[in-house]
Amino acid sequence: MTDAAPPATSAPPRSLPLWANPRIGLVVLLTALVALFATLRPGFLNTYLTLVPLQADISVYVVVGLAQLAVLSLGHMNMAVGRMAAFSAFAAGLVHDRFDVSLPVALLAGMAAAGLLGALAGLIITATGVNSFVVTLALDFALIGLVSLLYAEFTPGVAFAGQPDGMAQMRADTFADYCVGDVCGPPIPLQVPFALVAVLLVGLVFRWSRVGREVLMVGANEKAAKLSGIPVRARIIQAHALSGVLAGLAGFLLAASNGAFSASIGDGFLLPSFLAPVLGGTLLVGGAVSVLGTVLGTAIVQVIYKGLNLLQFQVDELKLYIGLILLLALSLDRVRHVVAEKRGVPA
Amino acid sequence: MTLLAEGLTKSFPGVRALSGATLSVRPGSVHALLGENGAGKSTLVKILTGVYRPDAGRILLDGAPMRFGSPLEALRAGIGVVHQERNLVPEFTVAENIALQHLPRRFGLVDRARMRAEARRCLDLLDLDLDPDTRVGDLSVAQAQLVEIAKALSVDTRVLLLDEPTASLTGDEADRLYRIVARLTATGHAVVLVSHKLEEVFAVADTVTVLRDGHSVAEAQPLADYTRDQIVDLMVGRAHAAVELGARTVDRGAVPALALTGVSTGHGHRDLDLTVAKGEIVGLYGLVGAGRTELARALLGLDTITAGEVAVHGTPARITSVGQALGEHRIGYVPEDRKGEGLFLEQPIARNVGVTVWRRLSRAGLLPDRAERDLVARYTDLLGIRLASPRQLAGQLSGGNQQKVSLAKWLAADCDILIVDEPTVGIDVRTKAAFHELLAGLAAQGRAILLISSDLPEIVTLADRIAVMADRRIRGTLPNTRAYDEMAQRVIRLVHAPLPQEVR
Repeated sequence: MTDAAPPATSAPPRSLPLWANPRIGLVVLLTALVALFATLRPGFLNTYLTLVPLQADISVYVVVGLAQLAVLSLGHMNMAVGRMAAFSAFAAGLVHDRFDVSLPVALLAGMAAAGLLGALAGLIITATGVNSFVVTLALDFALIGLVSLLYAEFTPGVAFAGQPDGMAQMRADTFADYCVGDVCGPPIPLQVPFALVAVLLVGLVFRWSRVGREVLMVGANEKAAKLSGIPVRARIIQAHALSGVLAGLAGFLLAASNGAFSASIGDGFLLPSFLAPVLGGTLLVGGAVSVLGTVLGTAIVQVIYKGLNLLQFQVDELKLYIGLILLLALSLDRVRHVVAEKRGVPA
Repeated sequence: MTLLAEGLTKSFPGVRALSGATLSVRPGSVHALLGENGAGKSTLVKILTGVYRPDAGRILLDGAPMRFGSPLEALRAGIGVVHQERNLVPEFTVAENIALQHLPRRFGLVDRARMRAEARRCLDLLDLDLDPDTRVGDLSVAQAQLVEIAKALSVDTRVLLLDEPTASLTGDEADRLYRIVARLTATGHAVVLVSHKLEEVFAVADTVTVLRDGHSVAEAQPLADYTRDQIVDLMVGRAHAAVELGARTVDRGAVPALALTGVSTGHGHRDLDLTVAKGEIVGLYGLVGAGRTELARALLGLDTITAGEVAVHGTPARITSVGQALGEHRIGYVPEDRKGEGLFLEQPIARNVGVTVWRRLSRAGLLPDRAERDLVARYTDLLGIRLASPRQLAGQLSGGNQQKVSLAKWLAADCDILIVDEPTVGIDVRTKAAFHELLAGLAAQGRAILLISSDLPEIVTLADRIAVMADRRIRGTLPNTRAYDEMAQRVIRLVHAPLPQEVR
């Protein structure tokens, strides 16, 4: 339901056939991967060793993927997702450190700070007409320096010493640790609901809100959008701001997993941010996004990570295989499109 | 080399662009290929240069049948072309552009010395004193045009096709170009000239072929046998099948829906006066490049209006964006380039129609699916757009239905002033007639319509009054009698009337 791409299975004549729906392929692939790893290493299904950390990781990286998806909708890129997350974590840490605010307030402050950075990126892009790739890459570079300087200025080292109440629980607990009488929650980490809310809200924005739909129209054809009366500049700025807010949330979730607001947060966000949406069928050219696909894409990537990890592959090998799998998936996607087009669906 | 093309037929989905057209060109002559917009000139040029393959008919060069699989094959056979739009790489030098299709190589690398010498040779053919190492992006429009001709001559070209070569040139530059054309014919080249500018055609061409609706109505006749009016008659056709739409009653006493008084724009329009009343269709006729689309863009706030006043329903309006034109003044614009500007081809039809009404339908920022679906259904029904499903992509529709979708979004947004730009270009005759009835019906319901068109029969069929624009000035406004021959003569005369002297 959170799928904002034109549904591929509608309109019997001259439409994409069912097998061309990428989401179904992803579900099959995910199931196959889980089955494969569970067969090779039964420990893959161990709740506390594997499944709980896996869910926490998926939660973080789904939000990272959504942050990129927010601007892919325009056909733009946000090369600064990682550093926006780092800046958000810094802002959250700082307001807690200085004003001793509670966890939700720190979270909101972090998201707002990153959102402003995103809006700034969007503003520069619309004002100068420079490609989003270049603008956000430059912004990323500037932020690498800024975040280090800020941590050096405001903390004893590269991380804030304290953290708001509740952060430690987010790291260690699952809902199974909270019981009402004899009834305890399922073994799901506390990050999951945050990601779930993000997924639902982003799905809502692109599927049912005026702003989200207009963003997609700008991505589909900027000239036509302008001539249809859509405030194109505002939509570009809003999409980038949304990207920032989500990057900020991801930064906070990772800080909660790590147990500290530190300068290194977001370092590994860039590649996964593209990986998940693109695997999930979001177009790089803009105009169509798939929130559900992003969730599935993230799950696949994280399952592969965890699985290969359990099979004792080294980190470098992991990266090699992830890269190969991405290339393979994208090639298959292209083949699927070409075949679908030959069957009478115009390009 | 004699070029003979016989019985060329080419259909596109829904349109028959050429049906049995014939063109015969002799060496040493300038042959004019004339016809109204949509008569099939460009299709013919594209078949001769290997861009399209004809459905039927044959091409003979000196009596030998030819089959061109690609533009390169046509070029190698000796047919060069300078298309209307620029086809040079701005970042490359003059020499690189000229030699682009057959770069001289040595050891697998480009032999720059030979490339430069080759370019020099082609430039000399045209008496052009240009440095072959100049970047093409640094040239003037006219120079770039001449470089294109040099490029077309770089292979052993015997037949040169020029498609509207002077559209972006000044008078002096055009004179220079035609001196070069005269030299080429003197050395035995054949030149085919496609142009809308009849003065130029009469000045330089020897023979003429006139196309109308894909047929050749005059085949390789000596141009001297015709007067200008006769050529115009051939182009527009006497046996013009007009749809009788019946006159509308326009209340001229009322405040006009749209009134321009002394409007000048940043695009060079000067002192335009134009009114469109409620329930009236005003046709804005002119040749390509007359500045009509630019005027529409200025009215929508996409270009600046530097002087004068635009009044909407009697109230002066300062429009700065399409959103404002739509939201505050209910002005809709159906652009000429429907694929590039009118539609979101990769989006469902419902989104294409709904895009203008989301601002009105949204509740707390969210859009109820149902309201949109109902609205879209209403307007697709009203305009007779046949869809498999509202989720069908706009790119899957035929040209006529695409144009209806492009119009539907403004009707859905309840616009009462519509600016419709070249609505039936590339649309087949039957759909065209249906579209005309539709526009007439919209006017009859009280909407004010400014119809921009280069299709004179269309304007005469639809308009209540015809404003004629040339060189960014309105040359005159005529009440439309709907007598086609009479109106065609008067309009064409206005287009070609000398510009009244003005104080600079």
